[in-house]
Amino acid sequence: MSRPAPKNVDVAVRLGPLELKNPVLAASGTFGYGTEFDAYFDLAALGGFVTKGLSLRPRRGNAAPRTCETACGMLNAIGLANVGVEAFLDEKLPALRGRDTKVIANVFGETQDEYVAVARRLNGAAGLHALELNLSCPNTERGGMAFGTSPAVIRDVVQAVRRAAPDLPLIVKLTPNITDIAEAGRAARDGGADILSLVNTFLGMAIDLDSRRPVLDNVVGGLSGPAIKPLALYMVHRVFREVDLPIIGMGGIASARDALEFMVAGSSAVQIGTANFVEPAAPLRVAQDIRDWCRKRGVAAVRDLVGTLRLPAGPERGAVAG
Amino acid sequence: MPVDLAARILAHDAIAPNHFLMTLEAPRIARAARPGQFVMLQVHEGRDPLLRRPMSVCRVPGGSRRRVAILYKVVGEGTQRLSRQRVGGRLATLGPLGNGFRLPAPRRGGTAAPALLVAGGVGIAIFPFLVDALRRRGVRPVLLYGARSARDLVALQMFRSRGVVVRLATEDGSRGTKGFVTALLEPLLRGSGPRPEIYACGPTPMLRAVGDLALETGASCQLALESQMPCGIGVCLGCVVACPGDAAGPIYRRVCTEGPVFAAGEVRL
Repeated sequence: MSRPAPKNVDVAVRLGPLELKNPVLAASGTFGYGTEFDAYFDLAALGGFVTKGLSLRPRRGNAAPRTCETACGMLNAIGLANVGVEAFLDEKLPALRGRDTKVIANVFGETQDEYVAVARRLNGAAGLHALELNLSCPNTERGGMAFGTSPAVIRDVVQAVRRAAPDLPLIVKLTPNITDIAEAGRAARDGGADILSLVNTFLGMAIDLDSRRPVLDNVVGGLSGPAIKPLALYMVHRVFREVDLPIIGMGGIASARDALEFMVAGSSAVQIGTANFVEPAAPLRVAQDIRDWCRKRGVAAVRDLVGTLRLPAGPERGAVAG
Repeated sequence: MPVDLAARILAHDAIAPNHFLMTLEAPRIARAARPGQFVMLQVHEGRDPLLRRPMSVCRVPGGSRRRVAILYKVVGEGTQRLSRQRVGGRLATLGPLGNGFRLPAPRRGGTAAPALLVAGGVGIAIFPFLVDALRRRGVRPVLLYGARSARDLVALQMFRSRGVVVRLATEDGSRGTKGFVTALLEPLLRGSGPRPEIYACGPTPMLRAVGDLALETGASCQLALESQMPCGIGVCLGCVVACPGDAAGPIYRRVCTEGPVFAAGEVRL
């Protein structure tokens, strides 16, 4: 039996200290510094977006080839090429002020000191609404994922960044390349994270059989796209049940249905990543279709769907697949 | 500004073995496009393969500028899927993208530098549109076109019908000069005539050789690059090419945004 269709669906969501007008964000590394998408839609249609990972100094990134298409997805090994935090503040952020969407800076470091220095520089910047700590990039020699796989290190770096940027909501982005992602989530919570975002890309590689060489110059890269959606969905499910923090889910989301599945699994908001490469207006479409889906299903507020997964009755299932 | 639209397929024909010419109804792209620019073209409805394919604008046919033609060769799964698309269907088409060729100023007396178009394989696709623009500026280009064998030399009629002088080379000698296209280019650059403007598109080894020859002989040379290009709009940073840098190493520039056309010497191929 369907409920009467609500005239207006309330799509606002709240994740601890971070309020979003709708649950759709564009993911770091797939959305440049935001203005690249002005040609395709109004950024104000999004709950927010996350910038390319920012380091203390500009980074040139890895040699080519940096990407490789794979079944239902792609590998990338960009190497966190970015303009650096100073150029972001001087040249990129001013163009984003007054956009009526949440601007979230992704922060990256090779050492804990660098994470802290970048976060301190961003704290209090006008027009910036949150930090996302990248503890999960697989494509640099040091930093990133190295920080994301040890619970003690996660807790320490999160705590240090928390102190360096006390005014901004702190999102910690988790790597899936770890035995138990819930443990990493708990460590981030213990360090003072407000929100968890998951997952970053899965380590992978591609080989050119004729030359017997790796396709990527970096040899390994991060797998993204629809190929990883079931893996990511499971990790969100697990972290939602194990860690008491709001979650931003991501991993292969390309449609409103994908996004809503992540919300049912426990995400309060979602990020659209690789789909932006295929269709620049993908986040806009997903945001609109979420509203339409809720209207048709008689869902008055999208936040009411968060974590509403109906598990089979009986003994706990889901930890082990048999 | 580039636009993303669902373009109707108006025509789609095999013009040679494995080579297809597709005409799309895309008025806003057709009106804005310049020679050397490209579109990101959806190849099918599904998610595997996932990414769109970059395609040079081959022609903007007719005076009304409502249509965009692309010429492609089936080289993998993406282009295989594309080749099965039927007339009347629609494909998401994003463009025009990239910087395009630098064109000579419209001529008022005097003589423009002669234009040498150097094509390798399916790199030929970028040139019909350029020929139209050059002819409007009073330049009659010469096309030097190399391919593996005679069967890979396509679209010759598009050039001959526009009065372009065409010289051919094949690696197996089945048509034209036996060898690479640079065998046609080198004597022209080492001759005593006026310095030409070179426009080149083809495989990377060819572009490297053409660029080197141009730098050595002092000819101005524009290279249109191909690259693995997931997004086409400058955000994935996947399509970069190494460029001369400093002691710390090369710098990288995006083929989709800073290119696809670079001056020889600007890039390290």
